[in-house]
Amino acid sequence: MAVLGIESSAHTFGVGVVERGRILANEKSMYRITNKGMIPAEVAEFHIANAAGTIERALSVSKLHIEDITGVGYTRGPGLGPCLQVGQLSAKTMAMKLNVPIVPVNHGLAHVEITKHVAGLKDPLGLYVSGGNSQILKFDSAAHRYSVLGETFDIGIGNMLDAFGRALGLEHAWGSEIEKLAMRGRYIQLPYTVKGMDFAFTGLLTKAKGLVKSEKREDLCFSVQETSFAMLCEATERALLLSKSKELCVCGGVAQNSRLAEMLGIMADEHGIRFARAPNEYNSDNGAMIALVAEKMLSKGLEVPLDRCDFEQRYRIDEAVFNG
Amino acid sequence: MDRIDGGAEASIYECDIFGVKALAKVREPKRYRVKILDDELRKTRTRREAKVLALLMLKNVPVPAVLAVGEYVIFMEKLEGVLLRDADKGKEFYEKVGNVVRDMHNAGVAHGDMTTANIIAVGNTPYVIDLGLAEITVSVEEKALDILLMKRSLGESLYAKFLSGYSDRNINYKTVMNRLFDIEKRGRYQVRTLQ
Repeated sequence: MAVLGIESSAHTFGVGVVERGRILANEKSMYRITNKGMIPAEVAEFHIANAAGTIERALSVSKLHIEDITGVGYTRGPGLGPCLQVGQLSAKTMAMKLNVPIVPVNHGLAHVEITKHVAGLKDPLGLYVSGGNSQILKFDSAAHRYSVLGETFDIGIGNMLDAFGRALGLEHAWGSEIEKLAMRGRYIQLPYTVKGMDFAFTGLLTKAKGLVKSEKREDLCFSVQETSFAMLCEATERALLLSKSKELCVCGGVAQNSRLAEMLGIMADEHGIRFARAPNEYNSDNGAMIALVAEKMLSKGLEVPLDRCDFEQRYRIDEAVFNG
Repeated sequence: MDRIDGGAEASIYECDIFGVKALAKVREPKRYRVKILDDELRKTRTRREAKVLALLMLKNVPVPAVLAVGEYVIFMEKLEGVLLRDADKGKEFYEKVGNVVRDMHNAGVAHGDMTTANIIAVGNTPYVIDLGLAEITVSVEEKALDILLMKRSLGESLYAKFLSGYSDRNINYKTVMNRLFDIEKRGRYQVRTLQ
């Protein structure tokens, strides 16, 4: 009983192997991003070139043979179409060849679920922050799916940080470069946009980009982080009190930022709420989270016939049926 | 002062001012954000809310009277009534609610969190409360969102009553309702409620 999961929604081709909730392997091949950003077709080519090798590595690390795989999962979306397609086809080929069940998985859901799993949380409020997504999530057990309590009105916080980092002339990975520079910065006021449990980042981005020539880089990085993270904290705090959650977690690529985690921790602490985040290897895109969710879904009989295993660039988390 | 309520935005304390029962709405510091940003947000929001309350009062929209304003605190009249959410009011009352929201909108204010939990029935008059997210704005969108929230928090027949009050002698009715139709079609704004 081992399930293999494939993640390929963006620049990472990840393969994980999970056996009864134990993560046996979590291998990744990462496309090197330049200042051009990601060209979907080029990234997909990279995935095609690396798919077989990454799967082999994951099997060898988990000390399993391909015949030991009893189920397959892949990221259905959201993500870049050409990239998703590589993962989808790899997974379908494996399922067909091995004659095992297959299940498509929602990417954001997998981020929250793996965080719950490794941090030992039961029913947390989840702040999911990555390049394309920024959402406040809570599992609705009656509806068998996550509901979105709040989200960005425009761009994901990761995209905002990346775009600002490029405007500053920094190299990839922009988020961690900004985090380093921010340590020596002072606060400059920037637009702050929160509406209830929703938020928006483009106003902040435009203003910050306009200040690149006149202000110190350190100050701008500090202020962009402080302002955008405070927005996330405020919206999350509101959702926390409204949903009466007892636990809070942060997940997704931007969850690797220590200042964001620190702020959320302080906020949770004031309400006597447990706060957790997963180790970085699970906050960046990875196959283990897909394998983990796929195993749970397959054990609940949520397998999908091969001819209905598609991908969907805008697959929303609140459309994804999940039985936890 | 006794803390009687509080959300993410502010704490509510009960107190006495000039022998009158009053509420103090205090925007407490948030330790997670830098002080300069925290002070600025709490100050501007306190000022904005006080301004909104004063404006509505001048325009005869039933809101709690502002008694005093500090940097981070608003002292206001304590209303003796029942939240509309918990009140057992006849259908006709919802027409009055519609009138009040109409007057608020035409005074240039969008509430920002317009639900039955933010209206208090004092005798036979609906009072609008908790204007912490309210804005003085010409935005049709914000007003349409208020109506959308009311629609979601009322049943169909009460909403019809509400609308008949909202549309009555309201020159902006058509504009707001057209925008509401657009918003619902757009689907980006999914109104999310718990409970």
